[in-house]
Amino acid sequence: MKKKLLRLIKMCSYYSFIGLLAQVVFYNFLFASGLSAQEVKSIEEVSINIKLENIGIKEAFRQIENRTNYRFAYEDRDLDKDVKINYVSENATVKNVLLEISKEASLSFRQVNNDIDVKKIHNNRKVSNSQRVEIFQGDITVKGKVLSAEDNTGLPGVNVIIKGTTNGTVTDINGDYSIEVPSENTVLVFSSVGFIQEERTVGTNTVINVTLNVDIKELSEIVVIGYGQVESKDATGAVTSIKEEDFNKGVISSPEQLIQGRTAGVQITSSSGEPGAGINVRIRGTSSVRSNNNPLFVVDGVPLSGDDVSGGVSDVGFGRTAPKNPLNFLNPNDIASIDILKDASATAIYGSRGANGVVIITTKSGKSGKDVLNYSYNFGVSNITKKYDLLEPNVYLDAYETFNGAAARDALDGGAETDWQDVIFRTAYTNSHNLSYGGGSEDSNFRFSLGYMDQEGIIENSGLTRYTARFNGSKSFIDDRLTISTQVTISDTKDDNVPITDNSGFEGDLLGAALKANPTLPIRDSNGDFIQLSNSEPNPAAMLALSKDFTNTLRALGNISAELKIINDLTFKTVIGIDRSMSNRTAAFSRDLNAATGILDKGRLFINDISIKNTLWENYFTYDKTFDNVKLNAVLGYSYQKFERSIRDSETTNFRTNDLDLMINNWASADMSLGNTIVGRNSSATIDELQSYFGRINLSYASKYLLTLTLRADGSTKFGSGNKYGYFPSAAIKWRLAEEGFLPDLFSDLSLRAGYGLTGNQEIPHNLYQERQRYRDWDIASGGNIDGGGLETVAFANPNLKWESTSQLSVGLEYGFVNNRIRGSVDYYYKNTNDLLIQITSAQPAVQPFVWTNLDADVINQGIELFVEADILTGDFSWNINANYAYNKNEVKNYSGLINTGEINGQGLTGAFAQRIAEGQPLFAFFLRKFAGFDNEGISVYEDGDFQQFVDASPIPTSTAGLTNNFYYKNFDLSFFFTGQFGHYVYSNTANAYFTAGALANGRNVTKDVVGNGESNLNAPDVSTRFLEKGDFVRLQNVSLGYTIDTENINAISRLRLYVTGQNLLVFTSYSGQDPEVNVNKSLNNVPSLGIDYTPYPRSRTIVFGVDISF
Amino acid sequence: MKRIKNIKYIITVLVGSSLIFACTNLEVDEKDSVVVESSDAGFVAGDPTELLSSAYADLSALTDQANVYSLFDHTSDEMIPPTRGVDWGDNGVWRTLHAHTWDPTHSYVLNSWNQLNQRAFKCNQILASNPSAQEAAEAKFLRAFYTWQVMDLFGQVPFREVDEGVDVDPRVFSRSEAFDFIVKDLTEALSDLPDTGSSPTNSTATQAAAHAMLARLYLNKAVYTADNPEGGYTFTTDDMNKVIEHCDAVTDAGYSLESQYFTNFSVNATSEIIFTTASGSPQNRWFMTLHYDQNPSGWNGFTTLADFYAKFEDNDQRKGNYPAPDGSEFSGIARGFLIGQQYNDDGEVIINSRNQEPLAFTSDVPLAGASTEKGIRVIKYHPSDAGQYIFLRYGDVFLMKAEAIMRGGDGGGTTALEMVNTLRTTRGASTLASLDEVAMLDERGRELYWEGIRRVDQVRFGTFTDTWGEKTNTEPFRVLFPIPQQALDSNPNLVQNEGY
Repeated sequence: MKKKLLRLIKMCSYYSFIGLLAQVVFYNFLFASGLSAQEVKSIEEVSINIKLENIGIKEAFRQIENRTNYRFAYEDRDLDKDVKINYVSENATVKNVLLEISKEASLSFRQVNNDIDVKKIHNNRKVSNSQRVEIFQGDITVKGKVLSAEDNTGLPGVNVIIKGTTNGTVTDINGDYSIEVPSENTVLVFSSVGFIQEERTVGTNTVINVTLNVDIKELSEIVVIGYGQVESKDATGAVTSIKEEDFNKGVISSPEQLIQGRTAGVQITSSSGEPGAGINVRIRGTSSVRSNNNPLFVVDGVPLSGDDVSGGVSDVGFGRTAPKNPLNFLNPNDIASIDILKDASATAIYGSRGANGVVIITTKSGKSGKDVLNYSYNFGVSNITKKYDLLEPNVYLDAYETFNGAAARDALDGGAETDWQDVIFRTAYTNSHNLSYGGGSEDSNFRFSLGYMDQEGIIENSGLTRYTARFNGSKSFIDDRLTISTQVTISDTKDDNVPITDNSGFEGDLLGAALKANPTLPIRDSNGDFIQLSNSEPNPAAMLALSKDFTNTLRALGNISAELKIINDLTFKTVIGIDRSMSNRTAAFSRDLNAATGILDKGRLFINDISIKNTLWENYFTYDKTFDNVKLNAVLGYSYQKFERSIRDSETTNFRTNDLDLMINNWASADMSLGNTIVGRNSSATIDELQSYFGRINLSYASKYLLTLTLRADGSTKFGSGNKYGYFPSAAIKWRLAEEGFLPDLFSDLSLRAGYGLTGNQEIPHNLYQERQRYRDWDIASGGNIDGGGLETVAFANPNLKWESTSQLSVGLEYGFVNNRIRGSVDYYYKNTNDLLIQITSAQPAVQPFVWTNLDADVINQGIELFVEADILTGDFSWNINANYAYNKNEVKNYSGLINTGEINGQGLTGAFAQRIAEGQPLFAFFLRKFAGFDNEGISVYEDGDFQQFVDASPIPTSTAGLTNNFYYKNFDLSFFFTGQFGHYVYSNTANAYFTAGALANGRNVTKDVVGNGESNLNAPDVSTRFLEKGDFVRLQNVSLGYTIDTENINAISRLRLYVTGQNLLVFTSYSGQDPEVNVNKSLNNVPSLGIDYTPYPRSRTIVFGVDISF
Repeated sequence: MKRIKNIKYIITVLVGSSLIFACTNLEVDEKDSVVVESSDAGFVAGDPTELLSSAYADLSALTDQANVYSLFDHTSDEMIPPTRGVDWGDNGVWRTLHAHTWDPTHSYVLNSWNQLNQRAFKCNQILASNPSAQEAAEAKFLRAFYTWQVMDLFGQVPFREVDEGVDVDPRVFSRSEAFDFIVKDLTEALSDLPDTGSSPTNSTATQAAAHAMLARLYLNKAVYTADNPEGGYTFTTDDMNKVIEHCDAVTDAGYSLESQYFTNFSVNATSEIIFTTASGSPQNRWFMTLHYDQNPSGWNGFTTLADFYAKFEDNDQRKGNYPAPDGSEFSGIARGFLIGQQYNDDGEVIINSRNQEPLAFTSDVPLAGASTEKGIRVIKYHPSDAGQYIFLRYGDVFLMKAEAIMRGGDGGGTTALEMVNTLRTTRGASTLASLDEVAMLDERGRELYWEGIRRVDQVRFGTFTDTWGEKTNTEPFRVLFPIPQQALDSNPNLVQNEGY
């Protein structure tokens, strides 16, 4: 105990010292840059000795600059290279020198304080001396206040610049400014990010008040970059910001759906069409090989843990069920913007968790001015997009008869005609209400919101109900030096689940059962009881009616922060955040259900509780200062995050009741006097911590050259003592060519940026570096026996585990033409992930068959991203196009081992797999037999023999694209959004398991193409290219038509909009399954898979009607 | 002046805050597990009693129809895993085992390697956890039991000390080194193991179990220590005498032949059961063979081959008996070999639900494209009265002694033929006039079929690389399995076996 305390003190002093050192460096920087303002003298008063002998104009300027405080501002194209200056003089005024140069070089000069602006004179001879050299000195003082048109309050931080110079000042906290101008002809330019620039000629006024109007387009140019924000033109990294108006519309249950397909290089795939289904987000390719490959999500500054917050259910015999999407708790209606940090220079500020990109979600806050009450309602109607084309009852019987004879046909014929797909699918309705009230004053703002969403799934009994409440508020004190803000959300989500799983065996899950069920069987017999032939041929209707499975999740995420302005340019911010979630999953299967083993006559109940508590404490300083041409922004901080997670898991059987509610709410209905009745399967509780130090410097010179340097040191409890800390640096530069003046006028923007950085990944299970022992989970085995409970070593401890690291080189070009009517960007990146954290086969003998290690291999992702946006038409009828395209190439290099994944399930497919990770292949490359048709006997023929091999097919799309068209005409707005993915393959485990002659011969229904395909009923449908298809598709994802009603004559209502939106309207693809955008979790030994289709919850097509009213 | 004041202010805040910062040493307490690693990464004792109990529970893996069991039985002439249309294709894992065309990436080869070695390692942990003398002896017995299987299947045996972490490549014993290691474990264990007689619930190690294992090792010593694993093998009189010595020790502990053969596999077994597992269940042995339409409904998988079935006389109890359906549960299932028409518990003809014809098992069975009625099914554990899953049985010990005498051991006046005939008489079969290697191997087949030892016998008798139904490959190097590819990748000390 004492030793521990000593160690703690030692650690604390050590880190304090490091912290102090860092701060000392920081102060030096801080104070060294406090330049004193130089006194301004007229060029008539300053005399110099100068000797210009046959030298160029630039060199002449340089000599004058060396002898004075003056600086010349010119454009190279104005200077005639052939002109040589000859002028030698002692004690000549600068004015005279300039006059001489003016005559020889056809240039005019204008002194504004210490700057001398140079301009070309086009007709040299007709110019007077006073025109050749003009002098402006600060002798008129102009004062005033800059107001925001939105709320008539003072606008701080507005740049007030003397036109044609870089001289100026900035408004103070109240919007007041004071500036000395050289003459009455001076024009002042007032500009601030997000507002339309204004100009005023000074004239005889000494007080000039200006009101700035909000520039909606400009506002959208702010990007959030983590611990701060920048104007997009100043962003040195690859960052995409998507604002509310560009979000996907319709029935949206979680935030990432808002941006699906909208950004180049960001691939978002739901694991299924189930309301609240889990998601896969891949930014710039797939680099890690663990189950959690998602980017880091940061909500209002609080980084979320990557863990699932809700539980799956143990395998009842249908297979494992996927946990729900952890982002479901956020009400998409509360979100103001989503920023995606793609390259290392942008994500390095999040260091260890930045390797897969960072998604920053910012929620809406109240705006100062009039309080606004907003109510919106929408109603959605959803239907399945594509049912499988199964055999009609008669065709089914005929085909069965050809295999098994007439007697078998008669026995099989149940005499009815049942479309089992129709039995489980329905038209689903969604109702969603949102109410918000927000407002603010000069020094405070607030916003409350309430949301309610009731989304039915297109499968009977499934759905999602969510209540959310949010409060965002902010208030400033002590002359605005201290600002306290808070963002809190509470959400209560109920997921109604149905027995759909990722890896059902030969019995099938609900969807498998609906596909294979005998179409001549009635649902119920004459007594009204479900017809349930056997546990391997379950009745889908019975599966739905005789089971109840729901997840209740209560989650609260909140933060409170205090921001203190220490001196004018230096602020300190402290943030305390908490993310608390309690989730309970209950699944009951009635003893009347004949499905899987161990349910019939016994019943089965699962309870799975997951509780998480993540706390965050962050402190950071921001220093923001502009010195003449140099703009500096620096951030230095510390972050501590603690992740607590506990799980309780139980399983009960031998129920005396068949009432599902009694089973769930009256556990004693299980006969616990029998053995093998209740299993408190297991519980666990873990704590992990992250401690980080980070710093970033953004420097810009003359708004032309920008530099960003970032360093984050992350310490994680997931690694052993020697490897706890990882260091993640990055550097990026940007050159804004458009500011140089040598570009043709056609260019309104042109910037080049390049960055390189290192980011990390630590998303592995808790403590794998120490040897620990736990009692293994108990389990009710299929025969009813209870197994497990033995003491065993948790994992093969690896004290050498260290950070997975990803280095990324990124180069980008941003452009704008014709006043930015056409704008966009081109990016190239090269990402190399090494020391991959992965579970591989242990060198036996060992305590476990697998060991977590840093794989000595490189995963390379390289690609190109294109983005273009164009305002094709403006005016009354306007048309805007927005397109993105990304190309990615993925390859594993320098790896000598092999890892199989992509488990394939179904009858006769035990132990089958379809993917392998190996040298020279893309991750998750398909590894299959090469199918070459059937022989005369109807048995599969394989091109190179009955073995698996790489078949040059990858599940990773090489290209992804999105295209949006927005039209506006008067009060109407219309948008179309297409998205597509190309160059990849999808493996249909569904067809492999269900759509074969053997399945048909066994009395299972199949798709129409199986009949007459030449396959024998005795053929084994082994894993082969027979079930591999191209996955290319183009989807019309979103069409939205809106009408905004004129409310000028209605006092109470300030805005009223009606809209109708269609989601997932059309899919163009050659894939024969339901939807090519599919990714069922077919992981093998915890190594994830990609692009395998196995009876996922199908996607739906949804039409949404909505109204949005502001009061 | 103002600036100086500011600086003081800033420094106070910064230094103050830096003291608050950085206050975790990033070491968290474990609340749901016991850390058994000391600060210098050496191994610290766990709870030996709990670990031993867990080690016994781990035996249940061997009751599965896949992995270890499949390597010992599907590769032999007594079992075939036919692919039946969409059933049992399983990516070819079964077919390649039967056809002797497996390769180093075969999943059951890998799983067996992992399961056996992992279990052997747990025994090392027990031995390093200050066990009592008996616990140590039991751990050594279990380690020997697992290590014997690794040695038999793969030839090489990797070994890791308990305090060797992931960065240590386990050293590798040659087959003969492994042999010595196993014999040493068993010999050391003997004195501290309980001297218990036969019981259907003998699920912990006893002296008799250790003797039975020692007899098995010495009987196969010629194979395990041969210069060339493919043979030929030289059996020495010394070794055979050791076999006899250990078999006699088992007999002396009170074991004898059970008069009713199938009683051995029931809860009523008395005199032959040496070592079983209480965890797991023998149920997979009936599920893996019975047809869907039988009760219990099986997975319609494995069968025996016609040639193997032909080795049995009709009077031989071991061939089995017809069922006596009386309406009671599972009474429609016979014991032994199930061939021809099958009946349900009420004595009615079972109709194959797939083709609506009477379900009659045929003796012929193809390896692929088999329809559901193909192949003779095998029931030793009967669903109505199955006992614990047996690893060591006296019938095996009895025949080991006979074989040792046949191979030159001192039978003390009893001949091998006399012993074999004693067994055959007990089992209801006619006596043999003479005994040769072929007859001895056949007798072992008849006595021990589907009990997971056939591969060992066929290798010892030199018939493992012959041909039989649906198996044409005769590559001699297949007497050893390949070292799994992923094991080779994980440990540079392993060298792939010849031929792979």
